Amino acid sequence: MNRLSPLAYVPRRGTLQTASLAPVAFYLGAYLVICFLSRDPAVLVAATAGAALAGYGCEADRAVRFSIRLGLFLGVTMVVINGLVTSRGATVVARLGEWPVLGRVDLTGEAFAAGAIIGLRALGTMVVIAVYSACVDPDRVLRAVHRVARRSALTASLISRLVPLASADQAKLSEAAGLRGPGAVPVGRMALAQRLLGGSLDRAVDVAATLELRGYGQGGAGGGGRAVPSRYDRRFWIAGAILFPAALLSLATGSGFDAYPQVEYAPESLSLVVTALFLVGGLVPWRRGGRARAAHG
Amino acid sequence: MLPTVEQQTEAPALAIEGLSYTYSGAGNPSLSGVSLRIDAGEFVVLAGRSGSGKTSLMRAGCGLVPHFHGGEIEGMARVAGRDTRESGPGELADVVGYVAQDPESQIISTTVASELDLPLQFRGDHPAERARSVEEVALALNIPHLLGRTVATLSGGELQRVALAVALVTRPPLILLDEPTSQLDPVAGDELIWLLRRLNEEWGVAVVLAEHRIERCLAAADRVVVMDRGRVGFDGTPQDFLGYSVNSQPALSSPAARMFSLAGIDPLPVGVRDARAILRDRGIAPGVPGGPDAGGADPGERDRPARGAPALRSRRLWIELDAGEGPVDVLRGIDLEIGAGEKVALMGRNGAGKSTLLRAAAGLVEPAKGKIEAENGIGLLTQNPGDYLVRERVGDELRGPAGEAALAAVGLSVPAGADPRDLSGGERQRLALAIALAGRMEGGDLPGLIALDEPTRGMDRTLKDGLTDLAGLLSGRGAAVIVSTHDVEFAAGFADRVVLLGDGELIADAAARTVLSGGWYFSSEVARVLDRPGLIGVEEGARALREPSGERTRE
Repeated sequence: MNRLSPLAYVPRRGTLQTASLAPVAFYLGAYLVICFLSRDPAVLVAATAGAALAGYGCEADRAVRFSIRLGLFLGVTMVVINGLVTSRGATVVARLGEWPVLGRVDLTGEAFAAGAIIGLRALGTMVVIAVYSACVDPDRVLRAVHRVARRSALTASLISRLVPLASADQAKLSEAAGLRGPGAVPVGRMALAQRLLGGSLDRAVDVAATLELRGYGQGGAGGGGRAVPSRYDRRFWIAGAILFPAALLSLATGSGFDAYPQVEYAPESLSLVVTALFLVGGLVPWRRGGRARAAHG
Repeated sequence: MLPTVEQQTEAPALAIEGLSYTYSGAGNPSLSGVSLRIDAGEFVVLAGRSGSGKTSLMRAGCGLVPHFHGGEIEGMARVAGRDTRESGPGELADVVGYVAQDPESQIISTTVASELDLPLQFRGDHPAERARSVEEVALALNIPHLLGRTVATLSGGELQRVALAVALVTRPPLILLDEPTSQLDPVAGDELIWLLRRLNEEWGVAVVLAEHRIERCLAAADRVVVMDRGRVGFDGTPQDFLGYSVNSQPALSSPAARMFSLAGIDPLPVGVRDARAILRDRGIAPGVPGGPDAGGADPGERDRPARGAPALRSRRLWIELDAGEGPVDVLRGIDLEIGAGEKVALMGRNGAGKSTLLRAAAGLVEPAKGKIEAENGIGLLTQNPGDYLVRERVGDELRGPAGEAALAAVGLSVPAGADPRDLSGGERQRLALAIALAGRMEGGDLPGLIALDEPTRGMDRTLKDGLTDLAGLLSGRGAAVIVSTHDVEFAAGFADRVVLLGDGELIADAAARTVLSGGWYFSSEVARVLDRPGLIGVEEGARALREPSGERTRE
């Protein structure tokens, strides 16, 4: 039995999964932009929580938990690294003297705070990407790309199929390597990687042959007529239309947060509005009656 | 675009004339002067030993040869009137469907519904037409429940069904299938064959089916074509094929035909129903109570095969696995003991838990409850022996006395400089097993348990006979040998004992001749023909038919 990645798309009846690609991309795009670019801690926390809420509302629990764990690890790492490599800031927490490579190391509260903002951005970005990955059918994305860039879509199709195949092959090869008798020559990482690469090339040929057999080279790709829209499209269009300008406005006006020379944070009313919008926006994918009903709805 | 009426009615589904083909870089041609005509609506079984050219012929029939595989080609092939030299596989996609051996490499999309939709989308069909075609093919193949699933969560059998559905979704007049039942259990395999027959009759699809387990599909076929070293060795009716196979290629003959031939009964039977009718006409009634029992022992004794010291012990074993869609109990309370020197076939439907049991024995999965242990060690060969072969010289895989001892234990003698990729399928399997055993033998003694997970996939009967010999060799040296398999005929020839799993539970555990003669799907063809307790093998079946006591007058 193959084990699905926590980030793998699983077809469910959640609104993000059933809505059309464009409004979902518009809605999640707003979260991605704010998480990736904002320096406002309240907005970042709210956007991260909103994205997680959106994921939970569409039963992407595993993806959300996985991304939070990974994002926290990355975030803490960034706080530590920034604390060690940046000596700016007025609030010295500890003086660690001269270190090789790093030179003089003074730990400052401001450096940690600046690291925390970077970490929050990483965490939020991870959560948004995880929700997108678990809720948006990659086949629909590839079909959409195929209409405008056939060669790119071919490459993407091959990669999207080869990655799980290579992953499964790697698991099988590693298992077989572990089952070798103690008297057989052990298999090192290099030998395993070479074997995997050789096998992947064979797989690529097989997958490419399958694409050919499906009629990839035919001219009618994309099909006539429009796909049937989802009844949830409207709510994501509206949510995106509110969140996207709010995000851009928030980025344009600044965050009110400064790490150096001393940590200063004076959130303006716009910041509070954006915070509230992105937090509440996480409920947009939820259906009336909550997710328990959504599973059967 | 659907083929025109002219194409469907006037042109044969597949016409091949003087086709010779050599793969790029290969020394010998894979096809030599092949001429063949398959008419619309025919159901053709393509038989032949491993490496005889069946797959190459299929590839030529769908345009992959020469467009995708390159190489040198002479002669011509036409599909529904289209010359494959001028039309590539993409252009032929609406007139021919192809299902290759490995379903994993034939699925591109994330979900089943998208996969079925893909060829229609490439063809430019309207979304409404696509939705209807997807729905209809899903209904025809009984897979509507799979439409919303991700392909990563499908079993081998389900993947095979989806691959077949994709090949049929454009409703091509010809479909080529390369050993589609090799990964299926007997139930799913039979279902697939009769499903193909139904589609052939109702939709008028010409079917070309390459298959090693000939007994499985002969009764459904209109015609049999045998490939022999790249040439057409035989082309005729299933009835004529039986005579040809028994006299010229015994490795291709069906068990019932061999049994009848050995018993001197004519005509040879195409299938079980035919065999029973022939026997009835001769006054031999199948299933007569008190008929000859080749076992010679009472059923109670048969059910308790002699066992040596335990090589595997499992007590109330529960295994839970989670593929990402929630935990599932794959094994449920398994109690099992296998003694030294036993030869055990582990059988059951796809997803019954066979591989998981073997993996648990090797310590690859942890029990959720209970325990399993192979006290004197285990050598496990997983489903693809190629996974064990990572280097380009045999000598780089196995060195020194431990390597030599392992090669000797599996009866393999190849030069150290040989490339594993150049070995035959059977040799590769032995080499992989030697790698699994190397260093696990104390003073030349084998580990207590040797486990092989579905080793007969894609093997012809000669290779399976070699595997049976290998199991006998290992068992003779004191190791218990357990083989998970879907191949009932192989199990009948190889095993002393059969353990049958059903949905994670142990549902039968007895002598092979008891289990393999006591049902319908998990019974050998001989057992299904004769329907007599304990009779599962060809020779003993023929013996029983020759004996005067075996002949009963119809009442």
